[in-house]
Amino acid sequence: MQLRRRTPLIAAGLTVAVAAVVAAPARAENPTEVSSRLTLFREPSSQNKGITVLHPQVDANAPIAGGLGIAAGWEADAVSGATPAVSGPHTGVDAITSATQFHDNREMVHGGFTYERPDAGIGASYAYGWENDYRSHSLSATTHDDLYDHNFTLALAYTHNWDSVCDANNSVAQSPLALVPLTSSAHCFSSSATDVVKHRLNIDAFEPSLAWTMTPRLVIQGGGTIQILDGFQSNPYRSVLVGSQHQEPQEHEPLYRQRYAVFGRAVYAFPQWRASSLTMIRLYQDSWAMQAATADLVVNKYITQSTLLSLRGHYHLQSGASFYRDGEGYRTKGPAGQYWTGDRELSPMSNYLVGGRLAFLRKPQQERASWFVEMEADVKYELLLYQLDSVNAPNYDRTYAHIVQASFAVRF
Amino acid sequence: MRSPFISKLVLVFAVALSACGGCAASKWTVKPHQRELLADRIMQLDADGQERAAEEHILSNREGAVGGTGTSGGGCGCN
Repeated sequence: MQLRRRTPLIAAGLTVAVAAVVAAPARAENPTEVSSRLTLFREPSSQNKGITVLHPQVDANAPIAGGLGIAAGWEADAVSGATPAVSGPHTGVDAITSATQFHDNREMVHGGFTYERPDAGIGASYAYGWENDYRSHSLSATTHDDLYDHNFTLALAYTHNWDSVCDANNSVAQSPLALVPLTSSAHCFSSSATDVVKHRLNIDAFEPSLAWTMTPRLVIQGGGTIQILDGFQSNPYRSVLVGSQHQEPQEHEPLYRQRYAVFGRAVYAFPQWRASSLTMIRLYQDSWAMQAATADLVVNKYITQSTLLSLRGHYHLQSGASFYRDGEGYRTKGPAGQYWTGDRELSPMSNYLVGGRLAFLRKPQQERASWFVEMEADVKYELLLYQLDSVNAPNYDRTYAHIVQASFAVRF
Repeated sequence: MRSPFISKLVLVFAVALSACGGCAASKWTVKPHQRELLADRIMQLDADGQERAAEEHILSNREGAVGGTGTSGGGCGCN
């Protein structure tokens, strides 16, 4: 697969250019911002090369006039590594040890507008994402309204995705056990191809939230998410060892999924230490019988006038999907109902994340005499630890991941 | 049929909203001159949208749960 460089570079250049052109007026209250970020995600494996993802992002937003603002951006994923072609047990006589090397690229561009009034605002955006085997069109609408002298903010967001997934042509398969996986994305989205087909996946997401400025030091927020996915959700490349007859059909997940989450957040100021803490708790359940609880704690502290240190801890605990079994379970007991999966994210597991970020801020001595309002450079490192409940769980060979990030932003 | 878990979540959310509404009518509102601390970037719930998007992108690909973090967007649904 070739990395398509020309399109993102043009998109990023146009983004910056548009932002610069419309930047001129009113900078202090609502400045134009151009930001770039590069994230490296490295997940080593005890058995193969593991996974490496490079994730660059470029974003720009600018006020135009009368409360109207525009935003645009580009991001990409360059993914390389190795993954087992068949999900199965890691131990015993049927242990799966071989892995397939792969390289994949994903890109996404987005653009939108916002219209802000003193007490309220609306926004809309469109995003288009593409990779060799996946296409995504996404339309979002948001609104927020300040109530009771700005002490409450009610926000609503709705997003609809029209996604397309490439898959092997399994029209002759007599049963799900006869499904074969996609072996190559070479013919995907080609109108003349007969060995591949295109599946639809529609996603609706609705997210209300209410924030309350409770005291001069405390802001709390509560909200939720309802997400409905309707369409093909399996990994088309993945096979699962099912039953003792060594059948290896394509992963087969339900076509419909409803997901619900509620959350609460609070940010509290410690002015004597020039610090704050941000806590978050989330509860989640979906129609695949998964339940999860997530907690986050971020502590921010100014070390100097222009250096901000943030420390973060994150914990996530989840049960498995109703049709999930580990590799040995699928081999000895067969599928749970009519579905089977090799997706680690559908297994019972817990994640721990710890890390920190340093932000370097620079403001001009005399804002009127300078071309910028603020510059910011950040570096961040996080360690993500996985704890799976079985030695035969998918991707048991990967127990942790490094997340390294650097970013630069200028506001003018 | 709605599960007991969802019913409990809806109840908790409704109680929280009611509590917020009740308190709004009280004297507990924060006046504009009391917002000095709140204006600092470290007091923003969603201070850096780009960083938040990158975090969500990673965690939604490594955890089975999504949403509930105040962010908008449907995600790609891809594996």
